[in-house]
Amino acid sequence: MSVPTGLHPSPRARPGLRLDLAAAIVLFAALVVASLLVGVGDLGGAGGLQLLVVSRVPRTLAAILTGAGLAIAGLVMQTLAKNRFVEPMTAGTGQAAGLGILAMTILAPGASIALKSLAATVAAFAGTALFLALVRRLPPTQPFLVPLFAIVYGGVVGAVTTAVAWETDLLQYLDIWTNGEFSAVMQGRYELLWVNAAIVAAAWWVADRLTILSLGRDTAVGLGLNYAVMLQAGLAIVALVAGVTVATVGAIPFVGLVVPALVARRYGEDVRAVLPIIAAGGAGLVLACDLLARVVRFPYELPVGTVLAVVGAAVFLAVIFARPRQT
Amino acid sequence: MKFPLSILAGSVVALALGTAAASATDIETATGAVEIDRTPKTIAVYDIAALDTINALGVTVAGVPDRLFLPELQPLARTAEVVGTIFEPDLEALNALAPDLVVVGGRSARQASETARVAQTIDMTIDGTELLDETLARIETYGILFGKEDRAETLAATLDEDIAEARAAVEGKGDALIIMTNGPKISVYGPGTRFGWLHSELGIPPAVDDLGAGIHGDAVSFEFVASANPDWLIVVDRAAAIGSGEQNARATLDNVLVRGTKAWSEGHVIYLPAADFYIAAGGADATGRILKAITEGFTAGK
Repeated sequence: MSVPTGLHPSPRARPGLRLDLAAAIVLFAALVVASLLVGVGDLGGAGGLQLLVVSRVPRTLAAILTGAGLAIAGLVMQTLAKNRFVEPMTAGTGQAAGLGILAMTILAPGASIALKSLAATVAAFAGTALFLALVRRLPPTQPFLVPLFAIVYGGVVGAVTTAVAWETDLLQYLDIWTNGEFSAVMQGRYELLWVNAAIVAAAWWVADRLTILSLGRDTAVGLGLNYAVMLQAGLAIVALVAGVTVATVGAIPFVGLVVPALVARRYGEDVRAVLPIIAAGGAGLVLACDLLARVVRFPYELPVGTVLAVVGAAVFLAVIFARPRQT
Repeated sequence: MKFPLSILAGSVVALALGTAAASATDIETATGAVEIDRTPKTIAVYDIAALDTINALGVTVAGVPDRLFLPELQPLARTAEVVGTIFEPDLEALNALAPDLVVVGGRSARQASETARVAQTIDMTIDGTELLDETLARIETYGILFGKEDRAETLAATLDEDIAEARAAVEGKGDALIIMTNGPKISVYGPGTRFGWLHSELGIPPAVDDLGAGIHGDAVSFEFVASANPDWLIVVDRAAAIGSGEQNARATLDNVLVRGTKAWSEGHVIYLPAADFYIAAGGADATGRILKAITEGFTAGK
């Protein structure tokens, strides 16, 4: 429907949206109910209510908060890099967050999850800032160089992390820590993820400025935007989501890539209009994949990161090969 | 006087070499019977379990990996040369050491083809399901190989005693679930896994019958532990085993769902010596310590 550049009329004007929205709400509600019902424990027993409160509700919320946060981080990162094919977890942000956790583990082994998240966020901020500074030097006429560069950059940061972990005998430990998984989520062990909710709200607050930011530096400055401040704000959003998520549940790939790309393709580039759809889409995708992770090897768990890598890769290929519809 | 002495010394060495060469023998390894010259003098060992047993026999080891994991093996760091890690042998250092025999096993078994380029290498890997039998067999084999038959017999007798005590202690005490904690996450190990010998050889009934046999265990949620509701929890802290000093197993397990199990509410939670169990199981002393921990845990818990 839309050409992926410039400003668009509000998607509210489009007739298909209301139907889409209704279908999405029904689907999302079904996923939430399923997530509350699926698990190893027996809800019908005496401790059923307790199980719901300490295990199922936290897990469902954790998946929703993670998905929404990662999708919004992906949207912001794509806006900053002006390219639809980058996302935090494959472009060095997630790897840098892992490096932060590793550094904290080596320097202060007993540090709390909150401290590790802080270290992960700081490292993610630095890693993402360097990525964006380097991406700016790529020729703008070659958009596919950006995702290629992102993969190489993510690989290099990941390799540094691996090397440090290898030297300190923490390789498998780091692997297990940072492989995205909700199996350990329960009451008292996921609450830090509420930071993601605050970040989605913050992104909503600066949505119009993000839209202007996506027009490029010159246009943005011409329209009166404080470009440097917005760039830092965008970086902070991406880094905080990556830091908190990697430290709490691990790295989860593809959400930040496929959700914003798909939603933008269908509903346009106006950040304020698409932001709720992207947040809900990310939440739904992660929730659905976590359900699969719980069911495929029941009663054992698969890492949701593995499920998403498979599902996400399939969706991403579909996105690449499908022709964008033109009006 | 010097001249005759050195001739004498030379002839003693020749005699010793002659004896050694004459007593080439077949010994049982993980990859089958291997013919080997008896009593090799310079030995490099890349497996912590093998190192534990060989050290317990009183044999001097010349080459060891950079990390020894067990505090009991730390003295070796002062006397032996470091010849790489258990995952990556330093072939130059190994070559400089010029060993007669290299022992690999478990995590280092894959390096056998590399180290075999430097010296004869035997793979002494010990499997998980018949660990105690294999531990005893290895003690005997090393005894013959290094000419320490008497010491080997004593070690085997001690271990037999520990095994008998552990079997008696667990008898009729109910079922157990083996859990490994990985920082905040947990996985469980059933009868077919590398920790399965606790079930198959000591006779502790598994709390969940149809557990998978994945070598790294199966990742589970805390709901799984709550619903398995075992009489005993046998816990190994992976982070502690590899010495990372991370979040401890108790903190990971101390939550509403685990607290509700029979095991937790009755204090039936046994924390095994992590490095002995995860890194060095099959070593004579390490296995003894594991068995003692089992005996003590099950006896104290009644």
